[in-house]
Amino acid sequence: MRHFLVMTAFAFIASVVFGTVAKDSNKERLIYGLKVFAEFMIIGLALSWVLYFLPF
Amino acid sequence: MATSQAKGRAELHEPVPGRAWLIGAAAWFFPGAGHILQGKWGRAIVLAVAVWGCFLGGILMGGHLFSVGGSEQGFAALLQIPPTIANVGSGALYIFCWIMGVGFADDPQHAARATFEYGNTFLLVAGLLNYLAMLDAFDISAGRKS
Repeated sequence: MRHFLVMTAFAFIASVVFGTVAKDSNKERLIYGLKVFAEFMIIGLALSWVLYFLPF
Repeated sequence: MATSQAKGRAELHEPVPGRAWLIGAAAWFFPGAGHILQGKWGRAIVLAVAVWGCFLGGILMGGHLFSVGGSEQGFAALLQIPPTIANVGSGALYIFCWIMGVGFADDPQHAARATFEYGNTFLLVAGLLNYLAMLDAFDISAGRKS
């Protein structure tokens, strides 16, 4: 559970900064930030399941 | 098409005002300062909270700050350079920790903490995110974005 929380905190912080510096309007920033956050979480969870089944 | 390319080239060759470099330096030194100096308070607070939070989180998790010129020699010393560049991106936070000797401990007891690697990552990413914030402040000051 701690690992998931740390990953969520990391994804949140990174997506906040990416969203803030990347786009021009507040709406675009919010959408981009949410998209980056979702990508971090989905890819993180997918990778963790892949690594879970690796025997080494 | 040709007009926009010519315009792009002209923008590239446009001299960057000295103020932009100062703003960039301030943004590097104190996360959020580059946007504060330009009156962009909302963006400054968001970026400052994110970078400071990431850095303090990394320190609290027992992360390690890298520096060049330690006990490593040869190729191992070269490997210290990229993470040091990332850590230095935190500006005053890194310098303060360096002066106070916080976060530079490299003993096995420190590395045994469950969150040691997370802390390392948070510290590295704090510096890298601040480089992004610094470039954003520089571009705003140079008139390249709003």
